[in-house]
Amino acid sequence: MVVMCLYVARDAPNSVRAVANLAEICKQYLHGRFKLEIVDVLKSPLRALKDGVLVTPSLAKLSPAPVAKIVGNLSDRASVLQALGIKG
Amino acid sequence: MSAANGRILRLVKNGPEREALESGQVDAVLDRTSGTALLLPEAQRALSSTAGEAANHLLAALPRRDYERLLAELELVALTYGEVLYEPGARIRYVYFPNDAIVSLLVVVEHKALEVTLVGREGLVGIPLALGADLAPVRALVQGTGSALRMKAASFREELERCVPLQREIYRYAYAKLVQARQTAACNRFHQVDQRLARWLLITHDRVRGNRVHLTHEFLADMLGVRRVGVTTAAAELQRQGLIEYHRGDIRILDRRRLETAACSCYRVDEASAG
Repeated sequence: MVVMCLYVARDAPNSVRAVANLAEICKQYLHGRFKLEIVDVLKSPLRALKDGVLVTPSLAKLSPAPVAKIVGNLSDRASVLQALGIKG
Repeated sequence: MSAANGRILRLVKNGPEREALESGQVDAVLDRTSGTALLLPEAQRALSSTAGEAANHLLAALPRRDYERLLAELELVALTYGEVLYEPGARIRYVYFPNDAIVSLLVVVEHKALEVTLVGREGLVGIPLALGADLAPVRALVQGTGSALRMKAASFREELERCVPLQREIYRYAYAKLVQARQTAACNRFHQVDQRLARWLLITHDRVRGNRVHLTHEFLADMLGVRRVGVTTAAAELQRQGLIEYHRGDIRILDRRRLETAACSCYRVDEASAG
């Protein structure tokens, strides 16, 4: 089970793209074996700051270890897969 | 460079965040000092634009003031293929306004499912709530992976009471769906499978970007209420006529205009009531 948290800015263009890119990856590689929380930093900026987020979109992989972070709209699939520890 | 941009660049000095910022992949930057998120100019423009630019058509039709108030209650979620949003008889906890996700609503009878309708960017999943029912009458199954904005059932009810433009949009949509359901009942009884397949392909095509539609054999059989072999024959016929290309559930629409001609007249009725 991969546990992730995606930080977005409402439905701003890069945030929407990040959600779509991540959804596609989940569909293709994780087959339901994931938990995803989406945090809107416009609604919850303090939560994002507490989690050490600097920019949105950002994706944090919380488990399994090691924890990893990837920033941007997640269109570079190879880097996302690597950060998530998935063999592409 | 604007003052806002200068501030953003000072907040993000280096590292992968700076790279993402420079390649235009960032929407907002968190500011520890003020405890707020600063939107980049492009994201600011996209978010403050008129509701007319909202991806979901029902939301896009709302006056900007109403849309912005609703946004405070809306949460962006990813819907993935195969995910079930409601089961028949379950309490509806959220309504969903799809952006690019597609959800199919299925009637389940004795463990068999028959698709009654598709919901994409033109609509809303959770219509029963607007009509005073709390329980889902059908199964809502994600058919196309993508994003949606969702709202808690209680907030949706409150908004519906106070926001006349939202009411108007929702009732107009619910009416179109009612017309479509009646039409489908007649269509299932009177029209040939290949005509009905053409109609559903058009309905699906209207809800996706591009010319590719992914629908499994099993799903098409459910959608049309026929056995798989019936789907094979009908799809082969449309393919023979050069209207579609069909390979293992990947369907490419080759000639939309002629596909409209091949579909039964019900597609025109769907279109007219949705407009």
